[in-house]
Amino acid sequence: MSRAVSEVVSPSSNEGEPASWARRLVGNQQFMLFVVFVAIFAFFTFNDSVFASVSEIGNNITDFSTLVLLAVGETFVIATGGIDLSVGGTSGFAGVVGAIAMEHLAPHGEWVVLGVGTLVCLGVGIGIGLINAVLMHYARLVPFVATLVTMGAAEGMSLVLTGGAPVGSNFGAITLTEPKISVFSYPDIIIILITVVAGLYLHYSKFGRYTFAIGSNSFAVRAVGVNVRRHLTWVYVLSGALAGLTGMFIYMRLGSGAPSAGVGTELVAIAAVVIGGARLTGGSAQLSGTVLGAMILTIVSSGLIIMNVSPNFNQVAVAILIALAATFQALRKGSRADV
Amino acid sequence: MSDPTPLYEARNVYKNYGSVAAVKDVSLTIHAGEIVGLVGDNGAGKSSLVKVLSGVYQPDAGQLIVDGVERHWKSPHDAMLAGVETLYQDSGLALDLTIGANVFLGREKMKPGILGRLGFLAQKEMDAEAAEDLERTGIAVHASKRTVGQLSGGQRQAVAIGRAVAWAQKVIILDEPTNHLGARQAGEVLAVMRAARERGLGVIFISHTLPHILEICDRIVVLRLGSVVRDAPTSTFTAESLLGTITGLHAE
Repeated sequence: MSRAVSEVVSPSSNEGEPASWARRLVGNQQFMLFVVFVAIFAFFTFNDSVFASVSEIGNNITDFSTLVLLAVGETFVIATGGIDLSVGGTSGFAGVVGAIAMEHLAPHGEWVVLGVGTLVCLGVGIGIGLINAVLMHYARLVPFVATLVTMGAAEGMSLVLTGGAPVGSNFGAITLTEPKISVFSYPDIIIILITVVAGLYLHYSKFGRYTFAIGSNSFAVRAVGVNVRRHLTWVYVLSGALAGLTGMFIYMRLGSGAPSAGVGTELVAIAAVVIGGARLTGGSAQLSGTVLGAMILTIVSSGLIIMNVSPNFNQVAVAILIALAATFQALRKGSRADV
Repeated sequence: MSDPTPLYEARNVYKNYGSVAAVKDVSLTIHAGEIVGLVGDNGAGKSSLVKVLSGVYQPDAGQLIVDGVERHWKSPHDAMLAGVETLYQDSGLALDLTIGANVFLGREKMKPGILGRLGFLAQKEMDAEAAEDLERTGIAVHASKRTVGQLSGGQRQAVAIGRAVAWAQKVIILDEPTNHLGARQAGEVLAVMRAARERGLGVIFISHTLPHILEICDRIVVLRLGSVVRDAPTSTFTAESLLGTITGLHAE
């Protein structure tokens, strides 16, 4: 009797059926996002051939680089079922603190300036990530409120430190964000490498596994002996660190620490994650989706500029994209019989 | 029973909530290859006792002894490491993870060499082993790449039980595992419990469904108002006498 074997999962019924590959392709969010990306790219190129020029693609990649690390950190956070509103403010604050530090280091030569400056930006980001974790674990704030607090504090402190004007001018740094290898600058390549490694860690490592598991059922994760608090601390520290690096990148791009550089960018980062197919309640996200989301958002805003549409419409376009992505997700879910 | 040293023993355990005594002087043994039914009305102290046995609560008095060694659980994880697995009523699965990922949750296997040290998982190995583990416990898994959320309620429960049985080295505590299940699925769960017994595990089975208790248990422990009122082989009970003992409406 004990040999009774119950059929837990019947094999997928539409396997081998004709046209099932097409259905699977349409059901694949990454593929659909890629199609959307190509369509938008083609649309803008058709409207103005400048869009597909090497220099414009280079510009787009630089824009993408200022966004994607924020979105990568946000993907980890959202996968746990949290949200990090502080990444934009953190990138601005890190850029300002880094710029002030680098100004003092100027006599020591360019590489010391950039090396220490990067560490300072990273440190500021990690610090804010830790503060987020402390606010959540000890002051018992939900992630939304905890990171709203640090967002406000970081943005405010940036203004306090700078009086509202850019600080620590270093126009030499701008050259670093110019294309060196094909259309990529060195920082672009570092950012792309970080993104790839982050993707591998999110989807193939134990760290990523727990990140999704916590977003799915934190009780279950705690029950098997995982220190959920410590894991969440690492996730918010990671998000902060990537925001800090973004601050350094923005500093290099602008040639100074601009206090308002990151304001509002957290919403674009969250938009990239949502367009990428992540579920805001946690447990489900794809880093490749986030990257495609960031690519789409990047070319939409630059395409609108090239088409001479008022930049004010950019936010409207972002809003429409989020609505479309969310609708697509909801429809796909609704059509799945087994949910 | 056959083995003089019980796998798991509770000796004179007390658990109070403020002035309310939820568990009073309870002693209980589970031997290898034995299914012990734990029954009682609502409020009889079953849940509190289970939480003490599984390490969620620490007893206010009394001893917990595993294989003759006294243990003090600081967490359910402690108990798990000592070979005592518990399946909770609200099953502890992460619905967005695959079956394989759930079976290995908290005990992931890492890739060999440098990749493993960098934190990367041996997913293929875990999927294959999970399927094997579940099959050994009486559950066939054809697609461990699917998420648990894509399974039906009964299938989820089967995975949760399969996981607990696969990992349990000594004792498995199943708290209402057949709740919300249809007759066929409940039958499958009972089959999994029999398979666990055959593997030499001790099984504690908590249920309100008395026919299941009478069908599968070797011994039944009846709790009433926090105390054990009867601890006897199943053959000494009838459906009526078991119900009577639980409610206290007629003498045992």
